Amino acid sequence: MMDKINWTQWIIIAVSLVAAPFIGALISGLDRKVTARMQGRKGPPVIQPFYDIIKLFSKQPIALHKLQILYAFLHLVFMMLVVVLLAMGQDLLMILFAHAFSTICLVLGGMSVRSPYSRIGSMRKIMQMLAYEPILILIIVAIYLQTDSFLASSVMDMTKPMLWSMPLLFLAFLCAVAIKLNKSPFDVSTSHHAHQELIKGITVEYAGPYLGIIEIAHFYETAILFFIIMVFWQTNLYIGFGLETLAFVAILILDNTFSRLTTTWMLKYMWSIPLFLSIANIIWLWSK
Amino acid sequence: MEITNFNVLLAVLILVPVVFGVVAYFSPWDKLRSLSIVLCSVIVAAAGILITIEPNNTFELPGSEMIATILEVGIVAVILFIAVKIKNWLIILMSLVQMGVIIAEIILANAGHTVAHTYDFATDPLTKILILITSIVGPIIAVYAIGYMKSHQEHAPPTAASLGQFFFFFIAFLGFMNGLVMANNLKWFSFFWEATTLCSYMLIGQDGGESKKNAERALLINTFGGTAMVIGVLWLVVENKTESFEGLLLAKAVIPMVLLCVAAFTKSALLPFQSWLLGAMIAPTPVSALLHSATMVKAGSYLVLRVTPGFHDSTKVMMVITFIGALTFAGAALLAVTQSNAKRVLAYSTISNLGLVVACAGINTPLAYAAALAIICFHAISKGLLFLCVGRIEQKIGSRDIEDMGGILYRMPVTTSVALIGMMSMLLPPFGMLLSKWMAIEATIRSPLILIFIILGSALTVFFWSKWIGRIQTSSYHPKFNKETMDPAMGFSLITLALGVLLTGVGSMWIFNKFFAPITEQVFKGRTDISDVLWSVFTAAGNFAAVTLFVAVGIAFLAYWLLVWRRFKETDVRLPYLCGENAESTVYTTSAFHNSEGTRSYAFRSMGDKIENSWSSTTYLKNFICEKKATIWLNLIAWVIIIILLGEAHLL
Repeated sequence: MMDKINWTQWIIIAVSLVAAPFIGALISGLDRKVTARMQGRKGPPVIQPFYDIIKLFSKQPIALHKLQILYAFLHLVFMMLVVVLLAMGQDLLMILFAHAFSTICLVLGGMSVRSPYSRIGSMRKIMQMLAYEPILILIIVAIYLQTDSFLASSVMDMTKPMLWSMPLLFLAFLCAVAIKLNKSPFDVSTSHHAHQELIKGITVEYAGPYLGIIEIAHFYETAILFFIIMVFWQTNLYIGFGLETLAFVAILILDNTFSRLTTTWMLKYMWSIPLFLSIANIIWLWSK
Repeated sequence: MEITNFNVLLAVLILVPVVFGVVAYFSPWDKLRSLSIVLCSVIVAAAGILITIEPNNTFELPGSEMIATILEVGIVAVILFIAVKIKNWLIILMSLVQMGVIIAEIILANAGHTVAHTYDFATDPLTKILILITSIVGPIIAVYAIGYMKSHQEHAPPTAASLGQFFFFFIAFLGFMNGLVMANNLKWFSFFWEATTLCSYMLIGQDGGESKKNAERALLINTFGGTAMVIGVLWLVVENKTESFEGLLLAKAVIPMVLLCVAAFTKSALLPFQSWLLGAMIAPTPVSALLHSATMVKAGSYLVLRVTPGFHDSTKVMMVITFIGALTFAGAALLAVTQSNAKRVLAYSTISNLGLVVACAGINTPLAYAAALAIICFHAISKGLLFLCVGRIEQKIGSRDIEDMGGILYRMPVTTSVALIGMMSMLLPPFGMLLSKWMAIEATIRSPLILIFIILGSALTVFFWSKWIGRIQTSSYHPKFNKETMDPAMGFSLITLALGVLLTGVGSMWIFNKFFAPITEQVFKGRTDISDVLWSVFTAAGNFAAVTLFVAVGIAFLAYWLLVWRRFKETDVRLPYLCGENAESTVYTTSAFHNSEGTRSYAFRSMGDKIENSWSSTTYLKNFICEKKATIWLNLIAWVIIIILLGEAHLL
């Protein structure tokens, strides 16, 4: 409950709220740099995302109507709430719901305007959610099966690295991360690669500062995802960091070797191999 | 028999709707009919609230045995009469079986086979929750029906029954439902059970013609359930010498329990019995709202919650019941995804949620029980509201296809906003439905197979709701919204229910800790099979800092209002990008622009100034799932499970 928060916790919450977007932006910058090198280009500086944000906020605020912008705000605020709840060590399932709500706001924002492109992008975003959400819930289930608790704080009580007990779920989670970060072949709702995205999909009708808000939310999300990857080796932060680097490189290689595939393919793939891997992992934990 | 507050309230809750129904039936003037409905609504709602405040109590009627038997014979005779009239041999056969069972009971009683003496009616927390739903949500829908039926009757086919008949069955339904949840004696319970079946039959067939066929289907399936129930009661009387819920739970009689559960499944329209509820969509919308939120399907989930807590020893039977619920939850959500007919989406969503209630009842742990209670309550309010909205939208735009609902935010802002509140309350935080789903997932954690179904079902639920929400809030920029004129009765109901949804949404955690948690603790007190871990999960759920959700929503709205809403200029508005010049006028105030609202297509100028129309539909996964084929398979699996259930109870 709220009254149990002491001042150290307040500081943790404040620090993570401030630090998360910077970390997320740096990861995005690195991502662009490494991707460029993989494609034989020089690439933008690592702090390019910061320049982008500054530029977006200096632009004229144009929009299609007012409601659209409300959803951008909700998207950002709930992404920040996820960070707060994680820092408080709250119920994991509720954190997941807050995250889902944030994504749904982005979808609804895209659907609230009369634009076929952003509607198609939004539809695809929902399909993406449909594809990865079950896996995220199963990870929480796996944590419960080992700790008898749904609290995020309980993860730290585990004596062995999570990766030991849930390796298959980790692989499935990497796929979910690739979807969340819109990496090929899963980048159906909006793509970072100009050659396979003619019109920007879900965010096409956002511009200027409103697009900036969505970008910041995206930085938060990136930071959250990479934080969770690190938690898979929660007993040793350095190894966790190494794991994170490996995952980062793996996802970039995936991104650059594949081209975007269809939504149907993504749904079929995610509900077969990664889902079955996760279920196998769960049954294994459950029977212990 | 002394007259106490409790007795009076009990009589009011059951008899007043029937009496006022008779007035409405015979009233030659519309005014008098409306007046009697409003009066009845006020009295029933007040009595419902008063009886909840009263302490739990019991009531015995002198000569109850005989009265109940006469009433039961009467109602079965009426159904038999209808069955003969529509020449449905199956219903005739089943009614005859029911009649035979009742006669057998009379003969047994005359032959000196005595049963344990019990109360006829009783209230406890579960009953009170159901009474609150029936006597508050029900009357609100009845008031809405006054406005709705006025314009419905103008376009109704010539075969339609009279308004008087409609309202008689409509409000009498509420009385029977109240009687059903308060009955402790199974004879009375069976009578009210059959009475609700009869009411639903009459209401579904209101418009005559094709609706008669669907009504027949509803009667068939529910009579099947009713037959299972009377056989179960007979079994209980013969084997355990008791005929009350109390006795059933004490005797731990598995076979009657399973038969009652099968009856509950038919009424709750669980797979494989869902077809009657889908067919019932043909009735006027207030009927659907009543069937889905305040009465009928809730009777089934009530019955399951009433009987299951006593049977935690029969683990296998419970597991099968859980499985039917989980299958229905995921299966109905899957079918809802493929639907573009708004009412069918709502129907599948109801079936899906009832499945979750039954699954929770089968899991039989404190958290699951609390989740089931929460779903019943929050679902009743939200679903009632949604049906009322869809009914109004349908009357206004002349279509119930979701794809036609683009642009209604501008044309009917009040109804659409209310509908948006209702839809969001079905899946978004901090509303109650999400909280209950959250608890349901946490409760099923120890049974992986069920859990997978619940997880997939939840994901699909989010999918079909969010695409619908996306469609109805699609609009262009308008400096001002349309003024919406509404029939006062309909307006009152919509606003009241919307406020109800918002308030229960804001207070959902409080309601949980204040009502559902204590009730659950009382039900599970002294149960040795509930481990400490299960209790700790239960307490942890109540401790969730829901406040953070409100803070987040508040911050978002405040920032939005400060930074955007106040500063928004019309010159900042642009038209959507359509890969060419928009053919719609760029001036927002022209009538041409306003008329384009609500049309399905986007028009843009292509090469040589040719105007092209484009249209992007929402995904219905039609290439994945075919509703018909999927239904056949799901029904097949569900029938197999029902047979397994009967086998587990050693009936086969």
